Amino acid sequence: MIKLLLPILFPSWRFFSCIGPSPRIEVGFAVDKNSAPQEWLPFRPSPKKINFPLGLQQLFHNPLWNERLYINTCTEHLFEGYSEFREREIGQRLVVAVLNKEIVVDGAFHYLVFRIRALEVEAGQVRDDVVFVSRHFALLDAGDKQ
Amino acid sequence: MTLELAVRLAEIILGFAIFQQSLEFVRGLQPEKTLGFIRAGLAILLMLGLQPLLVESALLVTAVILIRRFQGPYNGGSDTMTVLVLLCLWLSHVAPTRYWQEIALGYLAVQLILSYFQSGWVKVVSPEWRSGSALQQVFALSAYPVSENARLWAGRPQVLRAMSWSVMVFELLFPLALLNQILLIVALGIAALFHLANACLFGLNRFFWIWPAAFPVIVWFQSRMAQVF
Repeated sequence: MIKLLLPILFPSWRFFSCIGPSPRIEVGFAVDKNSAPQEWLPFRPSPKKINFPLGLQQLFHNPLWNERLYINTCTEHLFEGYSEFREREIGQRLVVAVLNKEIVVDGAFHYLVFRIRALEVEAGQVRDDVVFVSRHFALLDAGDKQ
Repeated sequence: MTLELAVRLAEIILGFAIFQQSLEFVRGLQPEKTLGFIRAGLAILLMLGLQPLLVESALLVTAVILIRRFQGPYNGGSDTMTVLVLLCLWLSHVAPTRYWQEIALGYLAVQLILSYFQSGWVKVVSPEWRSGSALQQVFALSAYPVSENARLWAGRPQVLRAMSWSVMVFELLFPLALLNQILLIVALGIAALFHLANACLFGLNRFFWIWPAAFPVIVWFQSRMAQVF
């Protein structure tokens, strides 16, 4: 606990000090625990544009975006090394997104898998690598709720 | 500005910021959903100025629970600043003497100055920031831009270079604003616009609300420094 609190009480304000690999989360669905997803969908893709009323509303209340930022924090921890806690945090939130019908899934699928792509500029070229594929997360009854 | 007025104004803005953060939790998962409701109620009491010591104690306890729940801050720097402001205000209430009250609030003022200065320093020593390419990568590749239209800024390298230098110069010069109260108020206005731009372009809305919670304390700090020197 002390290790968690010390950086908050004595913070280092190094916002954007270096530009590391940028994560992209993609979700896939599987019929059982032994099959792999055939298709990957971007999780919560950015809209084309945000108009003024929506921008103003999001200044006060933007829970989905802040959850996305938290998920990004979890992916950055996964870049540094495997963490069962971070994998579960991302997986649970994606399952809830399915339950809330934010992601529509065919009823035949019973499991969700996510993968993380890392985008990085190297020698002037954009590298795009899949750096993590999660375990299977049960969708429970999410498939029936589309 | 008196110390008492600075504390009261900071508590009102902090209360609003915590209320805003808490409402974002109430449609989420447990236990943060329940904690969100509790913190929203406490934030209203804080804004009203009812039993600030007790309310801030309870908010600190729930903040620690959230930090443990998420194994760190949920929303990076904005959560860090929230806890810092809360802790320093709480310390100002429990401090046994005026001297220790001033130490607690002075610590918050110094952290606010560092939040700009250190942030500017780590950028200006980076060749990528000086050339504008770092900000170009933020717009082109990072997960922060709020829309595809916002990403189009990546195609304007000259503008981004000017934006990078504007941000770095402002952040590095921020401590000099302590020399004069009018200068400080102007600097805080620019800072608020900077946080607004970050909220509009990168969705960092929580930063926009929590950083100003420390502004009354730095205005008090500047006037206190002017008395000493």
